[in-house]
Amino acid sequence: MNQFIQSLVDAISGGAILGLAALSIGLVFGVIRLANFAQGEIITAAAYTLIFTWQLGWFISIPLSIVVAVALSLLMEFTVFSRMRTATPATLLIASFGLSFLLQRVYEMLFTNTVQTAPVGSALAQSIDVGGVRIQMLSVVTIILAGSLLYGLTLFLAKSSLGLQLQAAAADFQTARLIGISASRVIGLSFALSGVLAAAVAFVSTVQTGAVGPSFGVPIVILALVGAVIGGIDKLSGALAGGFLVGFATSMLASWLPQDFSNFRDAYVFGLVILVLLFRPSGLLIRGRGVART
Amino acid sequence: MPTHEIGLQVENLCVSYQGVPAVRGVDLEVKAGEAIGLIGPNGAGKSSTLLGIMGATARTGTVRINGIDVAGLPPEKVVRQGVALVPEGRHIFSELSVLNNLKLGLVGRREKTGIPEAFAEVFTLFPILEEFQGRKAGLLSGGQQQQLAIARSLMANPDIILLDEPSLGLSPTAVDTVFEALDVVRKAGKAVLIVEQRAEFTIAFSDKTFVLHDGLITLTLGPSDANNVDVLTEAYFG
Ligand SMILES: Nc1ncnc2c1ncn2[C@@H]1O[C@H](COP(=O)(O)OP(=O)(O)O)[C@@H](O)[C@H]1O
Ligand SMILES: [Mg+2]
Repeated sequence: MNQFIQSLVDAISGGAILGLAALSIGLVFGVIRLANFAQGEIITAAAYTLIFTWQLGWFISIPLSIVVAVALSLLMEFTVFSRMRTATPATLLIASFGLSFLLQRVYEMLFTNTVQTAPVGSALAQSIDVGGVRIQMLSVVTIILAGSLLYGLTLFLAKSSLGLQLQAAAADFQTARLIGISASRVIGLSFALSGVLAAAVAFVSTVQTGAVGPSFGVPIVILALVGAVIGGIDKLSGALAGGFLVGFATSMLASWLPQDFSNFRDAYVFGLVILVLLFRPSGLLIRGRGVART
Repeated sequence: MPTHEIGLQVENLCVSYQGVPAVRGVDLEVKAGEAIGLIGPNGAGKSSTLLGIMGATARTGTVRINGIDVAGLPPEKVVRQGVALVPEGRHIFSELSVLNNLKLGLVGRREKTGIPEAFAEVFTLFPILEEFQGRKAGLLSGGQQQQLAIARSLMANPDIILLDEPSLGLSPTAVDTVFEALDVVRKAGKAVLIVEQRAEFTIAFSDKTFVLHDGLITLTLGPSDANNVDVLTEAYFG
């Protein structure tokens, strides 16, 4: 029973982190129909920042990693994607693949192929006792962090003028511009918010592993994309729920499958995804299919 | 020398899609306090004319908003010169509340004062929107959604308001509500340009109505032509 609660909490935290990652992709997708594979390299950049600056203190290292993630996200938009406004979603996705590989090679040249390590957030690497059940501190922190970010994002989107403008642009880009919403401003905003979420994902993942290599963000972004597709990437709630589901499932499979099988857990997840794509190609949670940006 | 008269002037407006012309040299003018109709069969280029004015599609020719040439400006900047479009098919944000749709209309507003008054004005014009302000816009009836689309455009306090087929798909009473409101808007001194398929209705309502055919204005009608069957037949089939 105790072990079940432990793995349940871990799975919720695993779901929360992939939910955030999928949301960070969905935010940008909603506005410019870009499923950004290079989101993984934004996560990696934030993770490297944490590793290299952790000795300066968390109160410097964490804000710095957020700044780096937001800056890289905006840089991608200004240098690459803003030049591709009339491209189809498929072309954008392929461009983001290219960007992802390019950045991985850059990280390799800068920081070598071996992983860099630092005791990032080592204070969180302990268990706490909750009513006789040992629970990982990091899982609890992850759940609280994801919950607060979600709450803040929801509040921002629903209550602020900029948040409403972002929602309007995601729902109907052409009409949004016709009523005076600045395209470049909402697009920039979506990339910036997406960067903040990527930094949060990077923090939790770096604490978990303590080691960062050039392809650190790749498995995260693959699973997040899978989740976003399952949930329906053109709706924020869909992307979030899909990401959560995938994170939850991979974590549960990891704790409950025999060790030999654990190694293949991603194969199981992909198996599930293929089933979903075969039987519910428009995602599990949405009713209609979104239209492509013209 | 730009003239500083309030209103819209369009000269030799041309719009084409991948080299195929849709609007082929339209001239028109709408002054403050005036309603101008633009009618014509499906595919005549009515929507393209409005989108061309807004800068939402590639175009040539001159468009002056309150005397200022808006050549090359993107729609979000054209709006800030004082013109608002109520698009064909309404295009309200159906997942957002009525109130949030109206707040979004404020984005294109030039002055940041008078916002409470702006809400009060649209709620007087369309009381149903006040009653349903917390409701998801997608849950409104077609007529109510059209009222919301017009109200959203009024939140920007435009001098010129362009409407693309506001009566499309509405019941007769809903059409009456919409046109009564447009009459108030015209009398309040705004310049109103109405694109419609309903010829008789539009001709009777407007101070002047242009007939568009294959991207060209082929006829100009006055309110007294509304019941003239020959003129209408000529307009649509001539
Ligand atoms: N986005 C577009 N791409 C290509 N052709 C278009 C587009 N929009 C309109 N057209 C064409 O331009 C012509 C005029 O269309 P439109 O302005 O919508 O006419 P109306 O509003 O009078 O029905 C039509 O032949 C239409 O098929
Ligand atoms: Mg039309």
